[in-house]
Amino acid sequence: MASLSQLLNTARDALSAQSYGLNVTGDNISNASTPGYVRRVAELQTVNLGNQPAGSVTAAGLRRVTDDFTERRTYQANGSSSAAGSRDQTLASLESLFNDQSGTGLGNSLSAVYASFSALASNPTDATTRSNVLNAADTFATRVSSTASTIAQTRSDLKTQAQQTVDQVNQKAQDIAKLSLQIGIAESNGQDASALKDQRDQKLLDMSSLIDVHTFTDGQGQLVVQSAGTTLVEGGKASSLSLNVNSDGSLQLFANKAGGTSSEVTQFLTGGKLQGIFQSRDVDLFNVSKQLDQFVFDVGNAINQQHASGFGADGGTGRNLFDVSGSPDGAALNFKVSVDVWGHPDRVAAASSAFSVPGGSDNAVQISTMADRAVATNNTRTAAEAYGDLVGTVGSLKAGSARDVDTQGAIFKQVQTMQQSESGVSLDEEMVALTKYQNAYQAASKVLNVADQLMQELMTAIGR
Amino acid sequence: MRVTENMRYSSVLNNLSSLSTRQAKAAAEAQTGLRVANPSDDPIAAADLARLSASQDQTTARRSTITTVRGDSELAESSLQQASDLFARAKEIATQGANGTLSASDRANLATQVKDLQQQLVGIANTKGSAGYLFGGSQTQNQPFTPAGAFSGDDEDHVVDIGNSTPTAVNASGAKAFTSAGGRDVFTDLDTLYTALSTNDAAGVSGTLTNLETSRAQITNEQAQVGAVINKLDASDSILSNLQLQTQKRGSAIGAADPATAYSNLTQLNDSLDRSVSVAKSILDLAAFKQL
Repeated sequence: MASLSQLLNTARDALSAQSYGLNVTGDNISNASTPGYVRRVAELQTVNLGNQPAGSVTAAGLRRVTDDFTERRTYQANGSSSAAGSRDQTLASLESLFNDQSGTGLGNSLSAVYASFSALASNPTDATTRSNVLNAADTFATRVSSTASTIAQTRSDLKTQAQQTVDQVNQKAQDIAKLSLQIGIAESNGQDASALKDQRDQKLLDMSSLIDVHTFTDGQGQLVVQSAGTTLVEGGKASSLSLNVNSDGSLQLFANKAGGTSSEVTQFLTGGKLQGIFQSRDVDLFNVSKQLDQFVFDVGNAINQQHASGFGADGGTGRNLFDVSGSPDGAALNFKVSVDVWGHPDRVAAASSAFSVPGGSDNAVQISTMADRAVATNNTRTAAEAYGDLVGTVGSLKAGSARDVDTQGAIFKQVQTMQQSESGVSLDEEMVALTKYQNAYQAASKVLNVADQLMQELMTAIGR
Repeated sequence: MRVTENMRYSSVLNNLSSLSTRQAKAAAEAQTGLRVANPSDDPIAAADLARLSASQDQTTARRSTITTVRGDSELAESSLQQASDLFARAKEIATQGANGTLSASDRANLATQVKDLQQQLVGIANTKGSAGYLFGGSQTQNQPFTPAGAFSGDDEDHVVDIGNSTPTAVNASGAKAFTSAGGRDVFTDLDTLYTALSTNDAAGVSGTLTNLETSRAQITNEQAQVGAVINKLDASDSILSNLQLQTQKRGSAIGAADPATAYSNLTQLNDSLDRSVSVAKSILDLAAFKQL
């Protein structure tokens, strides 16, 4: 037979359980917009009192409503999306170097070189016309070398960025390992570790925007984080990555192993800002810069060859118009007007033979009509065509990266929506929960009230 | 599917920002009239535009070359016309001087006139254009003819690039017009006439007539050559101007936005943006706790 005092206990347990529920709801509401917050649900359990008719309730704890699969998808999508974003940023600045529509390309200045020779042919003895040839050549050379140096500068900036990103990844890995330790301690002490887990998940999400992140739980229940094919965090232990520059100037990523050894993992890098940097720096920019070098090498040498065969107004011959390096490597960066002719307009070779100096114009015409001859890309493309190809390459790269940004961004948003749908706080839901716990609390108070009244009546009856 | 607050906010944000991006692009397209403002807008079109722009620059350079050299070619033609007139006059004098009734002093008078003509001819043969002496071949810096008519120039062509497959010569050859390289040394012919007149040699004067006519024909022939060059320049210019127009049209076809499409795109996106903003407002207003 249940005693009145048991009823009082039941009412007490109910009040405390419902207020626990109210607290959880309050927690959810106050963190509705906290990044990384995963909604909690209060786990209420009946307390079985054996064969007694009166039962009770207890708050068994919290449940974080999260789904491992969705979380992992989120990391992956975030990685791909930020890789695309970082690559697109680099390519946008590259594209602006080749935008002839807004007057920043090389096309106009190259045409101006040919046009200056056309003008020279019409008046080979005019000093101004000769100076114009040198000025046009200088403008073209300066444009070329400044484009090449901007690309080189961008690559060097990207190296710095990559280093910073690697540092951040290492820092995050340590933070995650530390949090894992704390979570382990809290849980072994029977404390609630939800807040720590929120923090750890948020760190993982942050890290997934820097590098590809794969997580799983190992046999001992420890969280394992793998990036670029190597294990960065295992339970409370973190290892680190480091960056190196290869002899060909490309970046290499190394995983530092215990015992001071390290192994290259560059090829296993599949996502995050770091991958975007590697891709844009050592593939996109590298290839464009190589194509620019080849273009300048071909065009510069073709003009030089023709120019050297002609004669200047001073009767001299065999002079180059441009300084072109011996091989296409770095040709664009070192491209400039040759010192043999710079400052000596009379040395511009307009005539094709010594006796036709100074009025001969054959050589100037040869150079000016070179615009129509296939001098570039193994003598298959004219200079303008080869330049058009270069613009097309840059445009395609940028268009591709912009599409990637859209696609990967959409996927990430989709996954984020899934994750929010699972783990996000719905204020509507919380309002209902709030009302539910409030009503239950009121009802429990009523039970307490009734028990109290009964007790009073009993006391009064006894006292009479 | 549970719909949470954050989902509402981020969907509002995503939709608005993606619409704004598209709207900004459409606005830029309608404002500038450029469909391909960046190479990435249409890489193939951008590559074509770069090539077309080079071809346009080349055409412009060639047309400007034509304008520059045409003046000198015209000057050469009119100079040769004057030289030819001068020989017509010399022939008249020779015909007059061959008349047996003329006295020695009459012939001496005529000789003075021929002396004048000789000086004029040297002046004509030393005509200077914008690119130097017209009849000196490649030796454009110094007078090609001495007062006595000795030639120090050469027979080099002055070639320019006006878009023909081969370089086009635009100068008149002084060597062929005035010196023995063209058949007769015209200065010597005038000198022979002068000598015959001043030595009162009627038969000698009469003997110069044929050569004077040959000299005149030689000059006229060169004049016709340079006339043909001028025609060629004009023909090339009209071809180039046509090409310029065609290239411009192709460039527009590839790179320009169609105004009607651009404007209707913009209007459509403006409407979408308006709608999206008002939908956003009602989504953000939607929350149960406000009703409770």
